Amino acid sequence: MSEAARKFQRDLNSGLVALVLLGVLAESDEDLYGYDIAKRLQQARAGEPLFKEGTIYPVLRSLAASGWLSSRIVPSYSGPPRRYYRITEEGRVVLSEWRAAWRDTREFVDQFTGASDSMNPTPEDRAS
Amino acid sequence: MTVTDSTPPRSIDDYLKALRRALNGADPALIQDALSDAEAHLRAECSARPDQSEESILRTITDSYGSPEHVAAAYLETDQAAQKVLSPPRVSSAGGADSSSGIRGRFFAVYGDVRSWTSLMFMLLSLFTGILYFTVAVTGLTLSLGLMILIIGIPFFVGFIGLTRVLSLVEGRLVEAMTGERMPRRVKPAHTGGWLERIGAMLRDLRTWSTLVYQLLSLPLGVIYFSIAVTLSAFGFGLIGGGVVNLLQSFGVELPMNVSTGIEGGVIGAVAAMVLGVIMLTALMHLARAIGRLQGKIAKRLLVEG
Repeated sequence: MSEAARKFQRDLNSGLVALVLLGVLAESDEDLYGYDIAKRLQQARAGEPLFKEGTIYPVLRSLAASGWLSSRIVPSYSGPPRRYYRITEEGRVVLSEWRAAWRDTREFVDQFTGASDSMNPTPEDRAS
Repeated sequence: MTVTDSTPPRSIDDYLKALRRALNGADPALIQDALSDAEAHLRAECSARPDQSEESILRTITDSYGSPEHVAAAYLETDQAAQKVLSPPRVSSAGGADSSSGIRGRFFAVYGDVRSWTSLMFMLLSLFTGILYFTVAVTGLTLSLGLMILIIGIPFFVGFIGLTRVLSLVEGRLVEAMTGERMPRRVKPAHTGGWLERIGAMLRDLRTWSTLVYQLLSLPLGVIYFSIAVTLSAFGFGLIGGGVVNLLQSFGVELPMNVSTGIEGGVIGAVAAMVLGVIMLTALMHLARAIGRLQGKIAKRLLVEG
């Protein structure tokens, strides 16, 4: 990935990581801890991950601070205690709103950029 | 955000040190959160791949977990964004519809703010926690000094400092729950090495001493907070109750016992006493919220920053 593509990905991620995390926790029947979630996301995508595992932890904490996730601490044999997360009812409401916003945004963006990979407009294309 | 990697970390300790450097100057509670998240993740990674050495796992960690600089930037950005997004609506929604209706509305909106209730609870509780911390600190210090001439004094001192750290975490959780001031989520890791090294590190650690100062200070502060809370609320409720009794008496209601409230002036005096009582209770709520904030700052300064 080029540096420009990386920067674009980072800008996109700022809201999307939170959406994905709420989605993962809403799908899961059990409470998940950070490492667990990171590995699930890693397995869901072949190739270079869209975001580093380290960046999901601050987002998890801020989602919990907003009351959209609840968390509990469980001691672990392998090191520091693990923080398990579970989505709250409030979190599910937020997630359904975010899902709708994401769907609208995706449809809108697709109209201009083309849904398939073959369309890849560059600034020069748009200027001409 | 520029991600410049110097030498990649070779061990978990190296990584945590680099992360701490990258977060230099940030909120101490945020630093502790970031370090404990990273440590938990890296240790889980190592135990998930027992066939590989820590060094070889750490070599690839910047690709999966992210470099210390990258991770530090993520914490700083998320924290700033969260504070911007979360704090204003929380405060204004707590005030409810009253907050738009001028000074009077704002004066009474304090009842809708959870922080003022929890701070009031903290003021009442602080006398008891204060007595506990003070007793532990004084007993521990004097016994440590007294036993220093015997060999038992050394492990006793180490155990005592360990106990003050646990108490400081408990107090931190209490302060965060009551006042909203962000405090660490876990105990500061113990120093490693032999007994003498550990004692030396404890004695040099400014936070050991500032924690003891906090514990000694918590008794007089607890007495003051408790007295303010009890005096003002008793006085406020007394005025309201007295007003009600006077009002009933002036309307000729027979009360089961003969009470003299000492409030003069008939109906007007009784109403005035009740209004004064309500104002006093509301003022107490404002004071509680302010004391909560102050206590949060004191706790942060002495228990976290050292």
